Amino acid sequence: MSVTLALVVGGLTSVGVYLITSRSLTRMLLGFALLGHAAVVALLAAGGEAGERPISGDAPVDELSDPLPQAFALTAIVISFGLTLFLLALARRQAQLTGDDLVEDDLEDRRIALETEAEGDDA
Amino acid sequence: MIRGRSPVVRSAIRAASPLALLVAAFLFFAGHNQPGGGFAAGLVIGAVVALRTVAGIGRPQDATRWFAVGTALVSVVALASLLGGEPLLDQVIVSETLPLLGKVKSGSALVFDAGVTAIVVGLFVAVFDGLDADELGRDEVQV
Amino acid sequence: MIWILLVAHLVGVVAVLSLPNPRPAFAVALAAPLASAVWAASRLGGGETDTARLDWVEGLDLAVSFRVGPLGALLAVLVSGIGVLIFVYGHGYFGGGDRRGFAATLLAFSGSMLGLVWADDVWTLFLFWEATSVTSFLLVGTKSTDSAAVTAARRALLVTVAGGLVLLAGLLVLVDVAGTATLSEMGPVTGDQATVAAVLILVGAFTKSAQLPFHVWLPGAMAAPTPVSAYLHSATMVKAGIVLIGVMHPVLGAVDIWSGLGVTVGLLTMFWGAIGALRHADAKLVLAWGTVSQLGLMTAMMSLGSGKAIFAAVSLVVAHAVFKAALFMAVGEIDIRTGSRDLRSLSGLRTSMPVAFWVMVFAGLSMAGVPPLLGFPAKEAAIEASLKETGASGDLILAGVTIGSVLTVAYTTRLVLALFSDKGGESTEVAPFRWAAAAPSVLLSALGVVGYALAPSVTDWVVPAATTLETASAGYALLRWPGLDSTAFWISMGIVAGGAIIGAAAARHSSPPEPVGANNVDRLVDRTLDLAKWTTGRVQHGSLPIYLVVMALVASLAVIPFLGSIDTDQLHTWDRPLQAGMGTTVVAAAIAVAVIRSRIGAALALGVVGLGVSALFLIQGAPDLALTQLLVETVIVVGFVIGLGGLTTQFPANGFVWRSVRIGTAVLAGAAVTVALLASAEDTPSNRESLTAAAVDEGGGNNLVNVILTDLRALDTLGEVVVLVVAAMGVLALSRADTARGGGAPLSDDVRKVRR
Repeated sequence: MSVTLALVVGGLTSVGVYLITSRSLTRMLLGFALLGHAAVVALLAAGGEAGERPISGDAPVDELSDPLPQAFALTAIVISFGLTLFLLALARRQAQLTGDDLVEDDLEDRRIALETEAEGDDA
Repeated sequence: MIRGRSPVVRSAIRAASPLALLVAAFLFFAGHNQPGGGFAAGLVIGAVVALRTVAGIGRPQDATRWFAVGTALVSVVALASLLGGEPLLDQVIVSETLPLLGKVKSGSALVFDAGVTAIVVGLFVAVFDGLDADELGRDEVQV
Repeated sequence: MIWILLVAHLVGVVAVLSLPNPRPAFAVALAAPLASAVWAASRLGGGETDTARLDWVEGLDLAVSFRVGPLGALLAVLVSGIGVLIFVYGHGYFGGGDRRGFAATLLAFSGSMLGLVWADDVWTLFLFWEATSVTSFLLVGTKSTDSAAVTAARRALLVTVAGGLVLLAGLLVLVDVAGTATLSEMGPVTGDQATVAAVLILVGAFTKSAQLPFHVWLPGAMAAPTPVSAYLHSATMVKAGIVLIGVMHPVLGAVDIWSGLGVTVGLLTMFWGAIGALRHADAKLVLAWGTVSQLGLMTAMMSLGSGKAIFAAVSLVVAHAVFKAALFMAVGEIDIRTGSRDLRSLSGLRTSMPVAFWVMVFAGLSMAGVPPLLGFPAKEAAIEASLKETGASGDLILAGVTIGSVLTVAYTTRLVLALFSDKGGESTEVAPFRWAAAAPSVLLSALGVVGYALAPSVTDWVVPAATTLETASAGYALLRWPGLDSTAFWISMGIVAGGAIIGAAAARHSSPPEPVGANNVDRLVDRTLDLAKWTTGRVQHGSLPIYLVVMALVASLAVIPFLGSIDTDQLHTWDRPLQAGMGTTVVAAAIAVAVIRSRIGAALALGVVGLGVSALFLIQGAPDLALTQLLVETVIVVGFVIGLGGLTTQFPANGFVWRSVRIGTAVLAGAAVTVALLASAEDTPSNRESLTAAAVDEGGGNNLVNVILTDLRALDTLGEVVVLVVAAMGVLALSRADTARGGGAPLSDDVRKVRR
């Protein structure tokens, strides 16, 4: 396996994770897109060595790159595309409603936390 | 960034649209033997829809129709093979000689791909459905 | 016929609920149990077996399967026969009012119980087992305005459903070790796995049949209306555990721990239940604790597993169903006609309620095991079964049964004496007699005498039922008069005499009622809920970023085991040198995405990442991917700029600590993914050749990737298309939702409050 590709996957994952832990939906969206890239490159790296384009007849079968991981990767691209567009719509909606695109704390969870804190004070 | 109402851009988009559609058609039919395919074609058509919407040339139609057509095509191909007693999604191959593209050997996979294309286009239409004219105008001012 | 009867219960439920007039609710409801009882009674004593089976998922051995043999017929007579009487009694007990919902629930319960005793498939058994738990919960909580009833119902549900889960685990293990889910096809199993199954199944049975320490739900369930108590605690609910132990006996009886555990718990329960019955002053609670005690004896006998013991257990099930239902009904009648069940205050009932008095006397004598009543031969059989056991354990069992029986006689004596004694002062006022509330109990207590008189016939019904569980049960009989040379007879007489003396003494001293054990369960439940709330408050603070950091950290730790398995032989620096250059560009652009604080700039950097990845695809030899990636990236960047370009706010800045945590997590996650990827490197031969051949022959195309997507693995693509459609629908819903409210609607108060 190409160490270079593995490192690229690691780098993309790092930045992706950093971005999705942000409060801004826009940055989370960017993070998801990067994680999507990481996944696709990982599939490609797992697919073995580079080769000729997998089109039957272009080159001897031995020299073609493996088409199966590529098919998986293509599916992955499409799905992360759909997800990215959905997040985009989500961020837009959030911006329309609140004027910014920040993810708020879950109200119900905060309420429970506040309640238990209050009880702890009583005791 | 996008001078939505600028006449120059409008004309350019108008002129480019048929060409882009041609590219999409090529990608679509080439997909079986060359790089390309239904998804890529859908993206190009979608880009055309996007550009035309942003430039204010016509409004996109109802996205659900695209979904309906796409899902129907995909399902028909998927299930048709069952009627013939073949496994799910098994396809029929026909050989055809077309002008310009030469001999094309293809089959029901092409219909399946057409369904994918329709759904991708629908996705674009859906995204731009939400952008109403006012908002596009505001983008023009701010960006 | 099995199907018809079970479906008739279902139809009955619907019919009762849709009655235009509530009056005939109980009359309509008793049709299905009546039919079942008649059908089952016609099969008593015969040897024929009916089966009904509906295969659901054949490959998984999932089926709904019933088998009605002698045991099924006998139990069905009890379940449905007493059910019919309960419906008659219910009509008298409630007097009037709209009881359609109650009657329907009771009928649903009755049908579930019937399905349970007829089940021939462990999953069918479990299904009906749970159905009885749920319907009994509804029945116990009938008075939903009474908080005691609600607590009691919750307690019953928690204990029985928890037991149901344990039972499910046991059944899963059992099916695995037995190799089939059909009860009648299972052979005896032994071994470690069988031991685990045995313990789990026993615990399940203990919860349902109120054995120590799970008995706490049963006395609380007395908050239910008396028809429910009379039904649940005589013929049905609590017998489910006993029946389960019985039907599992042929399969698990050979497991070492089976009889030891069952007998120990059973005898302890018998003792403790009897003590409980002696302590309480509420007549219904006395009966409830008495039920716990009796169930202990049945559990002990059923799990003891010798031919005589199984025979005794089945006889006890029959006798107990008859006399306990009668006792509950009589107490219920006293309750509705005087408004009290307190042993210390009720006075003069012997003259004012003679019917209830005689019912209590006869049914009580049957419970105490005195001739000439059905309880006597059944109790005799139990004592004889204990006598047959040899060695120290045999002596212990005999001692346990004897002590338990003495106490049983004692609490029965105390109950009858205290309930009907004259306390001095005025007699308790009594409401008018209702025949519907009294007739069923008269019939049942009379059955005690008739059953004794017809003991040979009863034997003919019980023996075939017992022999389906244990072949050694054949040849035993219920003896009306064992003879003066029988040891068991003298033990019996000693028990009756001793118990009567203790009971008469106890009748004069009534201790105040106090709930035992139940509070602990309630406290446990409350504590658990508090703990859940506390944990939720601490762990689930509602911040998405923190959740994500925790998840990323934990997921990163999962890679540790793989650290050692990186095989450097499988690795090389790069496939082609260009990869290094392009890879550096991609990572640099990715970092730029995170660093740039303007939206447009970040989007453009993302575009660069996409282009770089595209180039990596080309280098790798994947033009399809490169083309698609290029188009996707363009669309996303454009969509980003159009969709969010109008948003002018800056990304919020973070504190130093939080930022460091995020960076640390990110680096760790990246490293983890790299390690996992490198560790997974393996030189497996590609199946390019076969794929190529398949693509050209079957798919009719040369572009292998495309043929794979549209033909060879088109199902994946179908799934992908579905994902796209779902995402698109989401986009559509979001973008169409009230676009008029654009540009910063006012925040709600709630949002503002928690905002930090």
